[in-house]
Amino acid sequence: MSQARTLTFSIFRYDPQESGDKPKMVTYSLTEAPGMTVFIALNQLRETQDPSLQFDFVCRAGICGSCAMVINGFPTLACRTLTANYPDGHIKLMPLPGFDLIGDLSVNTGKFMRELSERLSLWLHPNSADNDIHRIEAPMSPEEATKLYELERCVECGVCVSACATKQMRDTFVGAVGMMKIARFELDSRDTRTADDFYHVIGNQDGVFGCMTLLGCQDTCPKDLPHMQQIAYLRRKMASV
Amino acid sequence: MAANSLQTKVDRAVNTDKGFAHPLWAARADKLQSLSGVLLGLFLVMHLHFESSILFGKEAFYQVAQFLEGGIFSETGHGYPLVTKIFSCFMLLILLIHAVFALRRFPTQLGQWRALRNQMRFLPHEDTKIWFWQMITGFLLFFLVPTHLFTMITNPEIGPHLSAERVYHLNAWALYILLLPVVAVHAVFGLYRVVVKWGLVEQRFAMLKFAKVLLVYLMVLGVASLLTYIFIGRSLALPVVPYVSML
Ligand code: SF4
Ligand code: FES
Repeated sequence: MSQARTLTFSIFRYDPQESGDKPKMVTYSLTEAPGMTVFIALNQLRETQDPSLQFDFVCRAGICGSCAMVINGFPTLACRTLTANYPDGHIKLMPLPGFDLIGDLSVNTGKFMRELSERLSLWLHPNSADNDIHRIEAPMSPEEATKLYELERCVECGVCVSACATKQMRDTFVGAVGMMKIARFELDSRDTRTADDFYHVIGNQDGVFGCMTLLGCQDTCPKDLPHMQQIAYLRRKMASV
Repeated sequence: MAANSLQTKVDRAVNTDKGFAHPLWAARADKLQSLSGVLLGLFLVMHLHFESSILFGKEAFYQVAQFLEGGIFSETGHGYPLVTKIFSCFMLLILLIHAVFALRRFPTQLGQWRALRNQMRFLPHEDTKIWFWQMITGFLLFFLVPTHLFTMITNPEIGPHLSAERVYHLNAWALYILLLPVVAVHAVFGLYRVVVKWGLVEQRFAMLKFAKVLLVYLMVLGVASLLTYIFIGRSLALPVVPYVSML
């Protein structure tokens, strides 16, 4: 059997809470284990070398979307990234840009997602006149349900937002995740909002017409959501309102 | 009812947001930018092909130029340079429309420019890089294309000798050698982006590959034609006499 490799991690460290702390890159070494992910490596580093290292995770299975970070210049989920993907054993970790930094690799995507949700009303708007809870709900066609499920797979990791240069240049831009969710409610037959209503929310420079089709979202989304098609669909839809 | 008042509250919040001062113009601007861009891009592809007819000899180019200047409508078979003049004015107008709407994409503040450069350094991404170059070339074209169009409006004579004179003796080659790569990059990737942006084609990577091949092809075509004009220009004695058809 070949000797296990030694990995070199170069990790962004900065605690905004601590007065006088300056952003810096710190290097750590770790012996690689079979099937090791960046998430496993980070936990080992925290257990054995530096208990103050901050990063987020919950599910370690690509479902919760907490562990997104920039790994060697590519934003993605740490728990879904094998260290074996990096042949030279050098791994550079940076926090996702475009979000409030909590500390080190931990960013506040939750705050961003909540604000986005409130701003774009990202929840189902059923017919509010029809509030008879004893009535049986109309069934949804399997085709429609499949389409919605496809878009529901978003884990709100924030990768698409950090990969978007438009968003980095213009803070008020809604970003791909916002449009993805709008598209999801636009397709939902239970939602009573019309194309006109959606136009009011995203038919502007901060919405679909501010998107310059740089496609960072499409190329990085760890859930492979169809950003390119959905944004184009919304753009055509909104342009014909 | 609680649910209803929440609903009206939400509606009010949505409808008073300041972001949509000119909601209709947002859509129009995007459509006009794409449409004018497509017109300019397709025109460029044709333009480069027409002028490359010089590669088939002076007679071929002469015939193409006369035809495009409306030669079939004149009794002598000669075209009218005025057509070039009018057409150049028309293209200038389209260019202005395109520039006005494309300008809103430029990073206007230093902070935006820095954010863009930072992003490109930390997260290298091909399409972002392509867009960056499109923006740079767009900026350059803002100066280069009007220069070219103004010479065509004030001095619209086109012909194997007259064009060669312009290129070689009047030093237009210096402009063209800059203009060619800049406009080719901008147009080819612009057309690619429009197609992807409006979802006209789903096979994005195939499109991107096609765009790159097209770019190389247009460059070869353009450089070959330019060299031919330079060679013809060198062989001409001054003052230059217009080419006379052999047919
Ligand atoms: S769309 Fe993709 S990249 Fe964006 S937040 Fe959802 S899962 Fe993450
Ligand atoms: S820990 Fe949940 S997605 Fe990585």
